Amino acid sequence: MPEKILIVDDEPNMLRLLKAIVTGKTPYEVTTTNNPLEVTQLLQDGDFDLVITDLKMPLLDGMDLIDMVKKFDPTLPIVMITAYGTIETAEEAIHKGAYDYITKPFRQEAILITINRALEWRRMQKELSALKQPSS
Amino acid sequence: MWKFLKSFLKEEEDEQGKLQEKFGHFRALLESNNQTLALMADMEEKLAGEFLFDSGYLHTTTAELTEHVVRIVTELNLLTSDRYRELVPISREIAADIHATLEAAPEIPVTPYILPLSSLERTDVPSVGSKMANLGDVQRYLGLRVPAGFAITATAYKRFLEGSGLAQELAESLAQADIHDLTGLEALSTELQARVRQATLPEDLEAAITEQAREFAGRRLAVRSSAVGEDTEFSFAGQFATLLNVDPDRLGEHYKAVVASKFTSRAIFYWKYQNFSVEELPMAVGCLDMVPARCAGVMFSLDPHAPTHDTVVITAVWGLGKYAVDGTISPDYYEVSRQAGHELRSRRVAVKDRALGCDPAGGLREMALPPERAAAPCLETDQLKELAAAALRLEEHFGGPQDVEWAVDEGGGLVVLQSRPLRVAAAPPVRERPISAEAPPPLAKFGVRAVGGTAAGPVFILQRESQVAEIPAGAVVVTRQPSSRLVLVMDRIAAIISEVGSPTDHMTILAREFRVPTLVEVKGAFKNLLQGQMVTVVADHGEIYPGVLTELLAQDCRTPLGEPWRGNPVFQKLREALRRISPLNLLDPHHPDFVAQNCRTLHDITRFCHEKAMDAMFNLDAQEALKSKGAMRLATELPINLFVLDLGGGLRASAEGAVGLADITCPALLALLRGFHDPRLRWGGQVAVDLKGFMSVLANTLYDVNKADRELGGKSFAIISDTYMNFNSRLGYHFGALDAYVGPEPNDNYISFQFKGGAANTERRERRARLLTLLLEDIGFKAQAIGDVVRARLVKLSQEESEATLEMVGRVLAFARQLDLALASEALMNRVRQAFQEEDYQLTFLRPEESAP
Repeated sequence: MPEKILIVDDEPNMLRLLKAIVTGKTPYEVTTTNNPLEVTQLLQDGDFDLVITDLKMPLLDGMDLIDMVKKFDPTLPIVMITAYGTIETAEEAIHKGAYDYITKPFRQEAILITINRALEWRRMQKELSALKQPSS
Repeated sequence: MWKFLKSFLKEEEDEQGKLQEKFGHFRALLESNNQTLALMADMEEKLAGEFLFDSGYLHTTTAELTEHVVRIVTELNLLTSDRYRELVPISREIAADIHATLEAAPEIPVTPYILPLSSLERTDVPSVGSKMANLGDVQRYLGLRVPAGFAITATAYKRFLEGSGLAQELAESLAQADIHDLTGLEALSTELQARVRQATLPEDLEAAITEQAREFAGRRLAVRSSAVGEDTEFSFAGQFATLLNVDPDRLGEHYKAVVASKFTSRAIFYWKYQNFSVEELPMAVGCLDMVPARCAGVMFSLDPHAPTHDTVVITAVWGLGKYAVDGTISPDYYEVSRQAGHELRSRRVAVKDRALGCDPAGGLREMALPPERAAAPCLETDQLKELAAAALRLEEHFGGPQDVEWAVDEGGGLVVLQSRPLRVAAAPPVRERPISAEAPPPLAKFGVRAVGGTAAGPVFILQRESQVAEIPAGAVVVTRQPSSRLVLVMDRIAAIISEVGSPTDHMTILAREFRVPTLVEVKGAFKNLLQGQMVTVVADHGEIYPGVLTELLAQDCRTPLGEPWRGNPVFQKLREALRRISPLNLLDPHHPDFVAQNCRTLHDITRFCHEKAMDAMFNLDAQEALKSKGAMRLATELPINLFVLDLGGGLRASAEGAVGLADITCPALLALLRGFHDPRLRWGGQVAVDLKGFMSVLANTLYDVNKADRELGGKSFAIISDTYMNFNSRLGYHFGALDAYVGPEPNDNYISFQFKGGAANTERRERRARLLTLLLEDIGFKAQAIGDVVRARLVKLSQEESEATLEMVGRVLAFARQLDLALASEALMNRVRQAFQEEDYQLTFLRPEESAP
């Protein structure tokens, strides 16, 4: 079963490119939305392994999204996309619990590496929690 | 007397101050020049398709770029007393053009205000939005039933906004909106929506709407948004208004209400953040016959949560489908096989105790349903089959899984209300990376990738710029320093290798535009690569291999720009904007076309200003500076009378009065003096001259040439700083000038050289000019001799290379000091050149009396 990624960015062009790159070069499934207000519903429906989100979005920004995602599933990794020159905010996002951040514009390879790393971490978290479960 | 002295001192101070000020402008110009080149290189790189960027990037980068170009123009004019004022309007015009390109909204096609649904098809998306355009296709090509209706087009929207004055009003309100104040945004949204609803429709639009409404008199309409881009690029799901069961008599009002719903706070945020204009996302409106549905719902041609299950998913409620769409009540849920026969896989019939219906008085009315009706399935097996078949036909027609709104009318007939792409995650095959090649050891592997890619071809060693025309197609051009003249062949060469250069220089920016793999900083390329030798250049790894390595070429990542970039609007805008940014039209500073009026791009302006700024520095009125109080004589045993004026950081702080070599900190002057002090040079004694040459000297002067150095030659002077040197000298009977910038940033660095005159006759003076040109070319300069004037320039060397070159220039200058007297023939000139190359700076072969035992 391929792992599933939810990408949230208010710019549709960015979404289209990201989706094309990730689905073109990895086996992962990608769902996109440019409407952060849809994210709660998508998370409930989707069983995602990774959320990639833009930081600056209308009405609900990436920071709010971290809270939302963490409330839904504290182990779900979040990768924050930030604009050039907003390193402080990116660091704040990490403090808030984002797994990693990537600064726009970025190379295709860079986002693929970040995704792979985040999913690897997710796998390890899952294995860890399986080990911690008292054997029945 | 005191007054006189005071004014004299003040003047001196002013002279030095003036020079310092000029130098400040020059430095500022260089700084912005570098920033500009870096930004252009960055944008070109983004165009290659390896990066993801958004419109925010475009706006920030172009804003920065134009700011720097404005600064360059300003600083040049400050440096040259406004000599290039015409650049101000030119740069402004180019900047405005770039800005317009970025702001440009997708054009709204000109159509009538109203188009009947029966005339629409998918290609009409830009006019009527995808909702209505797709419905047109459904009716026209699939023969599925859709309600009769019409679209009020994007043209009508534009007319409404412009004709009512709303466009202006809204733009002004939006300009003041603060996107971070969400409460404020909500308030603004409410206010704007009210303004749209209250605005007066332009007469012609009103007339068209009224006339169309008359055709539907007595019927009821569903009026809903069909914004252009709504379903494809933007997700505004459920945010725009839909008015159901309304009277055509008040269509104008309904129309305005739907248009008003475009101004949600979210949409307003977009316009602000993306710098959209009000014309973007034009709101076309669909008006359809209201279908008084017996039952209705939504279906997906493929289960989005389980695409492999191969089922069509259908939900249904009694009455109008709104309750199924917005989740007011739980609908019936059916899974039907996608395979022929469309057997029912599973069914979950809900208790639907309410239904939404059309109120005869207009609007909607909720009705309570009796228990047996509530519990009954909305759809029979045959209807499910019909629906599934329709869903698959829609999927096939639109080329992907569909999300379909449908209704079954009172007569039991299926009506399609909307079909749009369904978001489904599909797992495509994984692509393998190519296996790395078994390649012979590379010839060179220390280059810096300036433009990526792999290419092979025969080496063409570009000795001098004038050979550009000789470069054969498919050649790998090897050059000593970057040459923007290569643009002339950029479309037909395979690759470029340069011994110096940077990923941001002019040549590289051009190469990137043409996607020619380019390596810079390839030390020793000139020596190690042979003319005509076949090589493969792997720019991404900075490697050059002997022969043609097809395996490496096959891995060339320079794929033609395909999807998803081709159709990406942000990408297209970048490409469009770059047309006024990066092409270089001003190639040759000596060409009569090298004038401000011919600057057509920001690159042209940058190039032009840089050139003119270097000229301005070169031509500093340095004689005046000598009067300055700060000018100090250099104590040296060499027969030169050198005065030094420090503009800041060129001398040690303690230096006062006469300065010694130890006081100098300016790296350029130090390097030049190192060259002068080369022990192999000979400053004293006479260079042997044949009688003719000697006579020609006598004809000019009766002075001993060495004496002339000191007394006739006059003063030499150097205006210096920590990174800069302007050196003027009279050595013998000639005039030599050097202007150099030597600092840590290679883009800033340059050495300009000029030389003129001499004591001998024209023929010998010109011969010396030619000799100097050759000697300078031998050490990497682009040099040119016109008559007895030599002009040469060398740019973008590293600090270390600049210093080494200046040291060589020092040797050349001293070496060539009085050679005009000696250069009786071409053969002799060649012999002298050879002597220099062999480091025989004493020219012993010209001094038979000294070489004798």
